[in-house]
Amino acid sequence: MRKVAVIGAGMTLFRRRLMETPKELCFEATRMALDSAGIELKDVDAVISGSAPDGFDGVHMKGEYYSDGCGAYGKPYMRVFVGGGTGVFSAISGWYHIASGLADIALVVNEEKMSSCQPHPQSVFAHIWDPILDRPLKPNLIWIFAMEMNRYMTVHKIKKEDIALVAVKNKRNAVDHPCAQLADPNITVDDVLNSEVLAWPVQRLDISPPSDGAAALVMASEDAVKRLHVETPVWMKGVGWCIDSTMWTDRDLYFPEYVARAAKMAYKMAKIDNPRKQIDFAEPYDPFDYKELHHMEGLLLAKKGEAPIMTREGVTQRDGDLPTCPSGGLLGVGNPIAATMGVKIGELYWQLSGQAGKRQIPHEIKTGVTNAWGDLMQYGAVAVMGV
Amino acid sequence: MTFIEKTTDHRKLRRWEGNIEADYIYTSGLAGERFFTELRKNGRILATHCPRCDLTYLPPRMYCERCLAELRDWKEVPATGRVEAFTVARLDEEGHEAPEPQVWAFIKFPGIHGGFVHIVAAPEEKVKRGLEVRPRLKPQPLRTGEITDIEAFEPAEH
Ligand SMILES: [Zn+2]
Repeated sequence: MRKVAVIGAGMTLFRRRLMETPKELCFEATRMALDSAGIELKDVDAVISGSAPDGFDGVHMKGEYYSDGCGAYGKPYMRVFVGGGTGVFSAISGWYHIASGLADIALVVNEEKMSSCQPHPQSVFAHIWDPILDRPLKPNLIWIFAMEMNRYMTVHKIKKEDIALVAVKNKRNAVDHPCAQLADPNITVDDVLNSEVLAWPVQRLDISPPSDGAAALVMASEDAVKRLHVETPVWMKGVGWCIDSTMWTDRDLYFPEYVARAAKMAYKMAKIDNPRKQIDFAEPYDPFDYKELHHMEGLLLAKKGEAPIMTREGVTQRDGDLPTCPSGGLLGVGNPIAATMGVKIGELYWQLSGQAGKRQIPHEIKTGVTNAWGDLMQYGAVAVMGV
Repeated sequence: MTFIEKTTDHRKLRRWEGNIEADYIYTSGLAGERFFTELRKNGRILATHCPRCDLTYLPPRMYCERCLAELRDWKEVPATGRVEAFTVARLDEEGHEAPEPQVWAFIKFPGIHGGFVHIVAAPEEKVKRGLEVRPRLKPQPLRTGEITDIEAFEPAEH
């Protein structure tokens, strides 16, 4: 397989409601990514897009509808979707387009416009359930996360305060992100603990917001990196993806086994045998604060039950030994499902190429890992990137 | 396994019903906002031009799909267009015979890439490829900034 690098990235503002159409959101992110890579659309061999179900934007076949904004006109094009996992998986799809030799330069563009969906995107999320076994009980997505969070807290005797620290860290980190929707420089653990209880133990400030936004990457083969004289390529060192049982009753909710399997696949490719020592920072997927901790453990960056302790001890702060979500994550920057690629793969690219500005991790970093999580909470996509 | 009951009404079978309770609100976007505002206020139809590809997009877009440049050059579309292709719809959306056959056409304008698919207000026997047509707008106070502000295209009078 050929080596593949990210050589440019772009993203729009993440906001509750943006005026741009889905096409225009794609265009803005794609144009930024092309400019950041110093290339033009004619240099691009293939275009990959990721986006959540059409039910959010309210346009069927939205991957085709907005494809011109992604620069897909007249090029090989496909849309991929693996639930929330798409934020990392579409970059994996970009990787295999190039690793296989099919393309030298590929654009990866992810988009979401959740504000179209009224009264709330929850009404679309509600239909991920089995229509006969689950739907008649009218479940809400937050309930299953609440059960997972509770199971995780119970097994490891974790205090709610320690989980709230993740929301505080990420919303404060997001203050330095120019696209952030929910940054808060003054947020405290008490604010999180005093926020509205939605379904115990999930409270309002434990959750990332629905957002509009788009993000884009330019990926290139080693040959193209040389030909273009790219100064700061960030290499895709390893990728992995895995799906667990589709029956969420058949999994033990306290540990994301599917993330661990995807991570092992990625680490094997990246020749990493001790992730805690060899990984310098991480962007674990954080739609909820407990999920960052859950995913740190799934990514084998912490032993089971150890991630909250590392968080309390400051290890995961931007200047700590293992910074996590230096971008501000989904909790602080926003959660336009597939477009969270901008704060996951995008942040790894900006950090590792030294372009993260005020968010830049102050010490030397060479390797980072990120994951995205989705479907009926059983899909894991992992990428290791490095210089 | 096929159903063995002899019925053509699926609702008579044992079943579970579902309803995705979603409504949608859409934005016209940055280019669409200018296009519809100009149509509503001044009755003008605008397009955007890409100098690099020498293409003028109608409906206007904020970017060129060929080179992905941001488009800032706005132009007024010529008043008269031509029917490029057409069809005559005889059934309504429910499958019933329509009271009047409705003529739908793809209308292009000189020097413009793209065009409109819209209604032609003319007897079907008068419509042919190349027919010159002009937009018939609603009176200004009734316009709302939507594509239906153009009621139809009519044969151009000379
Ligand atoms: Zn152009």
